[in-house]
Amino acid sequence: MERIGVFVCHCGINISSMVDVESIVERVRELDGVVEAKSYKYMCSDRGAQIIKKSIEEKGIDGAVIACCSPRMHEPTFRGVAEDGGMNPFTVEIANIREQCSWAHDSRERSTEKAMKLVMSSVAKARLLEPLERGRTPVIPNALVIGGGIAGIQASLDLANEGFRVYLVEKDPSIGGRMAQLDKTFPTLDCSSCILTPKMMEVYHHPNIDLMTYSEVLSIEGSIGDYRVKVRRKPRYVDVDRCTGCGDCVTACRMRDRIPDEFNMGLSNRSAIYIQFPQAIPLKAVMDSETCLFHRFGKCGDGPLCVEACEAEAIDFEQKEEVAELNVGAIVVATGYDLLDPASLHEYGYSRSKNVITTLELERLISSSGPTKGEVRLPSSGERPRSVTMIMCVGSRDETQCSWCCRIGCMTALKQVILLRENLGEEVEINILYTDIRSFGKGYEEFYRNVRAENTNFFRGRPSEVRIRNEDIRIDIFDTITNKLFEIRTDMVVLVPAVVPRADSGEFARMMNLSRSGDGFLLEAHLKLKPMDTFVNGIFIAGCCQGPKDITDTVAQASGAASRAAGILSKKELENDPLIAVVDADLCSGCRICISLCPYSAIEPVVETMAGEEVVHAEINEVLCQGCGACVAACPSGAINQMGFKDNQILAMIGVLNDCSDAGGLK
Amino acid sequence: MSITDMTSMAEAQSDLRSEINKRLERLILGVSDYCYQCAKCTSGCESHKLLELEPHQIVALLKRGLIDEMVNSEIIWTCMSCFKCKERCPQKVPPVDILFALKNLTVLTGKQVPGDYTQMLQSVMSIGYIQDRQTVPTRSGDTVKREDLGLPVLSGLQDPNGFQNIITASAVEKI
Amino acid sequence: MKLALYPGCLMPTEQYAYEMSIRETLPLMGVEIVDLPGFSCCGEPLKSINQMLTLHMSARNLSIADREGIDLLVPCPMCHLALSEAKNILDGNGEMKKRINAKLREEGLEYIGKQRLFHIIDLVHDEIGLDTIRERVKKTLPDLNMAAHYGCHILRPSEMGRPVDSENPRKMEAILLSLGVRSEDYAEKLDCCGGPLLPNHPETSLAKTGQKLQAVSEQGFDGMVLACPWCQKMFDSKQTKAAESVGSRAHVPVLYLTQLMGLAFGIDDAKLGLNLNLSPVDDLGLKGEVE
Repeated sequence: MERIGVFVCHCGINISSMVDVESIVERVRELDGVVEAKSYKYMCSDRGAQIIKKSIEEKGIDGAVIACCSPRMHEPTFRGVAEDGGMNPFTVEIANIREQCSWAHDSRERSTEKAMKLVMSSVAKARLLEPLERGRTPVIPNALVIGGGIAGIQASLDLANEGFRVYLVEKDPSIGGRMAQLDKTFPTLDCSSCILTPKMMEVYHHPNIDLMTYSEVLSIEGSIGDYRVKVRRKPRYVDVDRCTGCGDCVTACRMRDRIPDEFNMGLSNRSAIYIQFPQAIPLKAVMDSETCLFHRFGKCGDGPLCVEACEAEAIDFEQKEEVAELNVGAIVVATGYDLLDPASLHEYGYSRSKNVITTLELERLISSSGPTKGEVRLPSSGERPRSVTMIMCVGSRDETQCSWCCRIGCMTALKQVILLRENLGEEVEINILYTDIRSFGKGYEEFYRNVRAENTNFFRGRPSEVRIRNEDIRIDIFDTITNKLFEIRTDMVVLVPAVVPRADSGEFARMMNLSRSGDGFLLEAHLKLKPMDTFVNGIFIAGCCQGPKDITDTVAQASGAASRAAGILSKKELENDPLIAVVDADLCSGCRICISLCPYSAIEPVVETMAGEEVVHAEINEVLCQGCGACVAACPSGAINQMGFKDNQILAMIGVLNDCSDAGGLK
Repeated sequence: MSITDMTSMAEAQSDLRSEINKRLERLILGVSDYCYQCAKCTSGCESHKLLELEPHQIVALLKRGLIDEMVNSEIIWTCMSCFKCKERCPQKVPPVDILFALKNLTVLTGKQVPGDYTQMLQSVMSIGYIQDRQTVPTRSGDTVKREDLGLPVLSGLQDPNGFQNIITASAVEKI
Repeated sequence: MKLALYPGCLMPTEQYAYEMSIRETLPLMGVEIVDLPGFSCCGEPLKSINQMLTLHMSARNLSIADREGIDLLVPCPMCHLALSEAKNILDGNGEMKKRINAKLREEGLEYIGKQRLFHIIDLVHDEIGLDTIRERVKKTLPDLNMAAHYGCHILRPSEMGRPVDSENPRKMEAILLSLGVRSEDYAEKLDCCGGPLLPNHPETSLAKTGQKLQAVSEQGFDGMVLACPWCQKMFDSKQTKAAESVGSRAHVPVLYLTQLMGLAFGIDDAKLGLNLNLSPVDDLGLKGEVE
């Protein structure tokens, strides 16, 4: 551009304490092409915006360099200001003199020198910038929600109630997720099923929701506004239109009570054909082909008993896997969490005694639909435990396992104290071995106070190990409140395991092109300000797939994610960022290296006939391209350029930074 | 500004604290600062029940700079060095290595070295081993020497005097 | 496979049976033992005096192996830890390596750090392999349930690359099983023998030993199998005193893993130094003819 304005921000004192802002303003004024140079305390404020707009109007600037914080913070702000003032927003260039300069150094003199270089290099680039226009894409007004736990249920209902078509994909035979496994919920002690099943029913009957249980997302193509998703529908071997959910087949099955029941955490057994749990939605049987005799051996006695038992004639061994193709404008991911397998802390005896269990297993023991019909009994003997000891933070806040807090363990254990007393009577001894009690939510501290009054033994400390000799369990615990070592003899140990990402979350994230944080949970675009967004436009996250959280926070985040998705779906068309890669077909040799590298599958080979010969060159789909630059760097012919980051623009910047003389070769 | 233990009126020795922390860093043994007093170490301490060693208390005193209290105490000599504390610490704090540091500090400041350590040190200095070949009893009531058992001759140090000179310097060197 | 035997202190000056059984059994499994001159104490027993001394002495022994370009067999867990920790420090802190090498140069030595370290358990389990063990077994041992005791320093700290799992070690049990001997789990398996306290708290040290002997005896084990000369000293040589100190009448046969291997391989018990075990090993009924 020919008439450039330079705007230097003080950022309060964040920049100005380490960089002499005024000297930069004075210096850049002399550079070729710079017709305006100003500084202001907060350039991102409304007053700052006025300064820039005034320069556009009065000095007729057609390019701007803003020296301020990282472009990740305010590039969109300043592009907007420029556009408002009548300038092309893509001729705005950010010089980051905060994160990459004032915050990083401690010499004012040298920071000023560096800031000067950064601003001058941005000016060099701004001279070569070109005005760009945004493209437009139509929006498909359907949504995909992945995961049918409470997060996915909430997001689906919100979106469906807004009038959008929702495809809810759940890998299990029923929706409900982890919440369906719980007995009661803290801090209100609401029955989990009682508050969850109405929502499950609402999903099932909602005219706008297409429920796809026992299904998994296979692949995803396209981009915001127009995703094409393939979903594998696993065969149930049961015609769901005929099945009445009576359960006769379950009772009849020859494998009855012989297969560990996943829903009950292996504490009871099920049949090969089963209904996941009594309140399952849909309430339809499902046949597990891995364990069904007929599937495994082609023979089940004189004939499958399920077929005989089913009056509705719903059993169908011929069912095949189907792949559904969906077209959606936005996606909400709500794939949930796993609990850490406590076997990884061998010292706590989970793999050595049946009477060492997890909180989720205890939840099933307490539940009236659970393996013991709601009677808490020792898994080893079926007897009533006289003493239960809960060990908190098993693998949580532990640099050798999971560095994070699970955020639900303390409250789960405190809640279970109350449920255990209801179940086993006041005389049961309950010990809680804790490091800190984190009761941070609304009503939580009050709940903790009530439990403290419940005659529960709290020991502030972490046991080194659980010693097991047959039925005898002993735990040494040094209590740091009394400074005494106690030996606890107990019947049952309940471990409160860390909350960890789903076992397949790495694979899932790769398939969806989503990033994960160091802990393995899906990464949000900004921890505070964009907690439901991902780095892929149009894909949002909710619930524990993003990080551990309780039901309250999960539901809030799910509604938030639905609302973010609705923001896209409610538009007829979307504007595309023009900062994408462009191929110069004349230079392209057709080597296809870029095609194999593109993470967004945005590049395709195009065959043309030139002078009687077939020539191949790459072509980039401007909707799919996210402007990552991978192809630009890889192209051996230099045929690909990134808009806003063209080779000549970058080289001009390097030229300035590389020149050690003060003038930077500009004057 | 200072921090004082109002029971003993001892002042925090922040210089010694940072010396010990630097030592742990140089020997790549861990960091003491992350301890949140869960006392998993003391719950499993082999010496706790018999001799009242409290590793978590050692870390707490170190964090508060109360080094002299520990250096002057017999308690630091009760560690069995079973390494359970270090192995199982959820914050990767190494109480056992802090105890080694404190014992070294006691020796370097010229306080008495307890028990048989002096004897072992002297033996190592002169013959390279903590003891010379012993005559041992058998189950049938005899005694035997190494030489009687058909084992090869134990090749000792090649230059005992040179070894002694070189190793002596290390015995009084700070890390 | 050729390995230099790093003897440490206790084995060559007192725990002769360990050395005898190692020298008898390993050649049968294809390991050639080399004796190098000039080794000294690993320094670990003096760590309480000065860790710089420990580091120097460990490095010194490692550099002897470096000079010969040979890997080390370190049967003593305490030595194994000292040498591993020294490697970890010297390989991870360049400045410390320079400082130590300046000292070593006075003896004409240099620490390079190429040598690998083996203890008996990982050597047998990981390198030689259980198939070879099974092939070498010539004698059916009686039906025994032996308590495996590893010794703290071969278990912990896992950060220093211990050869067995720190919380759920299974390699010794697997070796025993390949000899035809059962080894059930017990809650006290990972507990210390009390040995390191012997220099300045002898009574407590013996009480610790006594407690574990009592626990092993109560749980009906036929005996204990060890792979550490210090633990053997406590559980075997000092068994009577240790048991008395906690008022226990435990009579627990205690022997080295390599002794048991030797017996299963059909080696004469005199060559394995079985007469040097003071605990009632005769109760096990291990002697007798090769079938």
